[in-house]
Amino acid sequence: MRASQIETAVSNTDLDRLIKNLASPHADLVKSSIGELAKTGDPRLEKFFELYRQGSVYNWPTESGDVRIVVNEETIMDDDFNEFAPLLDPLSGEPYLVSDVQATPDLLELEDISPSRKLRSLVNSSKFLLRLFSTDYTVRLSGVKKCGDPSFLPAAIPYLEEIANDETEDEKIRFTAKESIGLMILSGAVEAKKSPEDRLFALSQLGDLKSLRAYARLDTFEGELESMPELSSLELSEAKASISFIRNKIQDHKDTVELSGNLFRGVSYGSVLVLIALGLAITFGLMGVINMAHGELMMIGAYTTYEVQMLFGHTPDNPVNHYYLVALPIAFLVAALVGLIMEGLVVRHLYNRPLESLLATWGVGLLLIQVVRIIYGDNIGVNSPTWARGGFEISQDIVLPYARLYLLGLSVLSVAFIYFIIRKTRFGMLIRATMQNRDMASSLGVRTRKIDRLTFALGSGIAGVAGYGWTIIGGVTPDMGQTNFIVDSFLVVVTGGVGELLGVICSGLGIGVLTKLIEPLEIGTFTVGPVWGKVILLALIVAFIQYRPSGLFAPKGRLADKK
Amino acid sequence: MIIHKDRLVESRSTFIFICLLGFVLIPALYLGGILSIGDINMLGRFMTFAILALGLDLLWGYVGILSLCQFTFFCMGAYAMGMHLAHHGGPEGIIDSNGWKIPACLFVVYPYEVGESSGDALVPGFWKPFWNLPVTIVLGLCIPALASFVLSFFVFRSRVRGVYFAILTQAIAVACWLVLCRNDVKLCGTNGLTRFDVIAPSGSLFTFNPVDATNDWKGVHADNPNMDLNQDGFVDQLDYSIANVGFSLSDPGVQLSLYLITVTCLLGSYLLCRWIVNSRLGKVLVAIRDDEPTLNFFGYKPYKFKIFAFCIAATLAGLAGLLYVPQMKIVTPSNMEAVRSVMVVVWVAVGGRGSLGGAILGALVVNLLYNYLTSEHDYGFFQWSPDYWPIFLGLMFVVVVLFLPKGLIELVDRVKSTTFLKSIKKQEAES
Repeated sequence: MRASQIETAVSNTDLDRLIKNLASPHADLVKSSIGELAKTGDPRLEKFFELYRQGSVYNWPTESGDVRIVVNEETIMDDDFNEFAPLLDPLSGEPYLVSDVQATPDLLELEDISPSRKLRSLVNSSKFLLRLFSTDYTVRLSGVKKCGDPSFLPAAIPYLEEIANDETEDEKIRFTAKESIGLMILSGAVEAKKSPEDRLFALSQLGDLKSLRAYARLDTFEGELESMPELSSLELSEAKASISFIRNKIQDHKDTVELSGNLFRGVSYGSVLVLIALGLAITFGLMGVINMAHGELMMIGAYTTYEVQMLFGHTPDNPVNHYYLVALPIAFLVAALVGLIMEGLVVRHLYNRPLESLLATWGVGLLLIQVVRIIYGDNIGVNSPTWARGGFEISQDIVLPYARLYLLGLSVLSVAFIYFIIRKTRFGMLIRATMQNRDMASSLGVRTRKIDRLTFALGSGIAGVAGYGWTIIGGVTPDMGQTNFIVDSFLVVVTGGVGELLGVICSGLGIGVLTKLIEPLEIGTFTVGPVWGKVILLALIVAFIQYRPSGLFAPKGRLADKK
Repeated sequence: MIIHKDRLVESRSTFIFICLLGFVLIPALYLGGILSIGDINMLGRFMTFAILALGLDLLWGYVGILSLCQFTFFCMGAYAMGMHLAHHGGPEGIIDSNGWKIPACLFVVYPYEVGESSGDALVPGFWKPFWNLPVTIVLGLCIPALASFVLSFFVFRSRVRGVYFAILTQAIAVACWLVLCRNDVKLCGTNGLTRFDVIAPSGSLFTFNPVDATNDWKGVHADNPNMDLNQDGFVDQLDYSIANVGFSLSDPGVQLSLYLITVTCLLGSYLLCRWIVNSRLGKVLVAIRDDEPTLNFFGYKPYKFKIFAFCIAATLAGLAGLLYVPQMKIVTPSNMEAVRSVMVVVWVAVGGRGSLGGAILGALVVNLLYNYLTSEHDYGFFQWSPDYWPIFLGLMFVVVVLFLPKGLIELVDRVKSTTFLKSIKKQEAES
C-alpha cells in the first residue's frame, strides 16, 4: 500500500497537531506541515487551505498560551466600533463553540497567521495536491487529471511520479498521472525540463500512451518550436517529422475510439428504439391497432417512476436507489391499467378499422397529455439512481455509461420477457391463435375478447417500461411521447415487418446504428448532424420500402393479404 | 355503387351554401358593422383551411388514402408567398452586394459561416424567383405538386398502403419540420417569415428583380412632377420604397379583397373536386377505396389514380398556403408540426368524410370552436380555461370516430331528409 493511503487514516488528533504547527514562527515547520497536511488527502482541508490562503485563519491563544486555530470570515462591529469575530471551526466549518455558544472574541485577541508570500503559492497548490491523496477514486482521478491541464501544477510532479510508479494504484489513475506529467513537460511548464529535446521526448512518451489529451496540444507545440530561435532548420524539420509521426499514431487511436464510441451509441440508441417499439409490435403488429397514444403510455410509465421516486423520497443528495427497481413493475402495471381502460372504452370498437383507430387513439393521447400537464405542470425532474452516473471503461478512452448499459439490459430483458410470453406460455399461444384466426379460435372456446384486452394491456405495459427506462437518460415532459417517440417507433415496426419480434429487434438496432454512424459524417465543411441525419435515414427507409414493402420480415401466406 | 344520385343534390346545396355564406352573408354582416375586419380576416384564414380540407377529403374520403403531411404541402405554398411578401416587405433589411434587399426577418437569423462578416450576406439564389408575383403563384402551386408527385410515385408504385402510408407521411412531415426549423436552410428558422408590408406592387407583377423594378418605375414616372427627386434629378437607384408601392396588407379594403379571393378559390376548388368526384374518374377513385385488389383485375393501374389524387390534394394545399400568408402576415415552421396535419384529418372527420361539403363544414366549425374555446369563459357554474381545449379536442376525436362516423354532415342530411319527407307528406296531404 502506498504511504499516502496509510496517511489518509490520519486521526483527528494528528490533523490538529499539523494544523497547530501553522501558527509556529518557524517557516520550515510551517512549510513541512503544509506538505504533510496535503498528503492526508482529507477533503475538509480543501476549504481550509482556501481560507488559509485568503488569510481568514487565525490563532486564538488560550489563556494558558496554547495554540487554538480558528477561522473567521466576517467581523461584526458594535456601536463602540469594537470589532468582534464570530469564529468557525477550521475543519468542519461549523461555529466554534465555547460552552455551547459560538465564540465571538474581540478581533484584537486573534493572532494573524496567514502564510507569507513565499508560502502562499505552496498553499494554493496544496489545495489541488490534496486531491491526489484523496481516498475517493473520482476525486483522486480528477485531481491527477487537473495537474496536466492549464494552468499546470509543476509542484505535483514528484507526487504524480510516485502515483505512476505505485503498483497498487488503479491503472487508470497511473495512466492519467503519466499523461499529466508528460503534458506538463510538453507545455514547458516544468523549469528543469524546458529544452526542446526534453519536451519532444515527453511528447514521444505521450505518443506511446496514445494520449488524446496530447492530441489537442500538438499544434500549439509545433507553433512554439517554429518560433524558437535556438533550433536549427535541420533540428526543426526532424522535430516536425517526429511530431507528425506521433500525430498519426494518436489519430489512429482516436479514430478507433470514435468509431467504437459511435457503434456503442448506435447500439444503445437502437436498444432504446427496440424498447419503445416493442409494445407497438404487440398492439400494432399482432393486433393491428394503430395506437397513436403509445408515446403517452410511455409518458405514463415515466410519470409513474416519478411518483415512486417521490414516494421513496429519493434525491441526488439523499439517494434511495432501490426505488428504481421498485418502479419497474409499478410502471408496467400502471401503464397496463391505462391500456386496459383505453381498450375497453375506445379501441375495442375499432378493431379492423386501422385508420379510425389512429384518429381515436391520437385523441386519447391528446387528452392524456393535457390531463398530465394540468396535474404536474410542464416539467418534472426524475433523478436517476446514483449508480447510473459514470461509466465503465472497457479499454483506453472507450467508456460505456452505466445508464446506457442498464437500458441495453432492460431492453434485452423485455424482449426475452415478451418472447417467453408469446412463444412459451399458454396465454401466448392463445394470443397467437386469436390474432391468426379469430373465428376459429373463438369456435374452439378461446375467449377472444379477454385475450384482446390482455394483449393490449401487455403491449401498453411494455410501453410503460420503456418510459420508465427513458427516465434514466432523458427528460420527462407531458408531450414526450409525441415529440420523441411515436414516429420513430412506428418507423421501426414498419421497417421491421409487422407481427415479427425479430423484425423489430433487427430494424431497431439497424436504425440506431445507422443513425449514429450517419450523424458524425462530414462532407466537405458540412457535418450531417442529427436533423439531416434523420432526413437521410428517412430517405433510406423510403428507398428500402421500395423493394421490401412489408418490411424486413414480411408476413407470409394468408396473413400477407390483410391490410 | 357507392355514389348515389343524392350526392349530386347535396353538392348543389353546398354550392349554394358557399355562395350565400361567403359572398353574401359575411360581407353583408361586415358592411352592417356586425363583423369587424379582424373577423373577416380570420374567416378568410379558415376558408383557406377549408381548401386544405377539401384536398384531404378527396384523398381520404374518396380514395381512402390517409395523408398526414397535408400541412407540409400547405407550407410549401405558404413559404413561397412568404418569400414573395418578404421581398417587398417593410423598410428594414439591408441591400446586399448584388442589389437585392435582404429582408429583415432573414437578416436577423442569417447563418453566417465562421469568419464571414454581416456585410457578406447575400439573398439566397432560391429566393430570387419569388420576387415576381405570378411566378410565386405558379411555383407555390407547382412545388407541392411536384414534391407530392415524386413522393407518391415512389411510394404508391411499391404498393405502400393504408396505415403504412399514413405513418410514412407523418415521418416526412416531422423530418421536413425539423429541416425548416434550422437557420442554415435560409428560411428564417423557427422565427419564420414576417415583416410583410404590401402585396402586388407593380414591380412584382411585371419585373423579375429589384433593379428592373426601380428602372421601370423611373421610366414610367420620369415626367411626373410629383416624383421625389434627389439632388441630381434622379431617383436613388435602388430606392425600394418607391418600387414597392402596392396594396398595404393592413388596409381593410385589401383584407376584404383577400377574403373574397379566398372564397372564390374555395368555390373553384370545390367545383374542381366535385367535377372529379362525379366524373368516371371519381368512380375509379372510389373503387380504389372500396376494393383495390379487384380493380387490379379489371386492368386498371390504381397507383396512377392514387398519384393523381395525391397531387391534386397537395396542389390544393399549396393554394391554401398561398392564400393564408397574406391574411396571417406571418408564417412559421410551427404550421408544419405533425399535430397540424393530424388536425386536417380531424376537420374532415368532424365534418364528414367522403362528402365535400362536410370537409368545408368541418374545417369551419372546428376552427371556429378552436377560436372560441381557446379563451377564458365564465359560464357561472363552470369556468372554462384554454387549458381544457386539448381535452375537448381529444374527446371530439373519440366521439366523432365512435359515434359520428359520417360526421356533422350526416346530421345536416338527416335534418334535411326529415324536412324533405315532411314537405312531401304535406303535399300528399294537400293533394
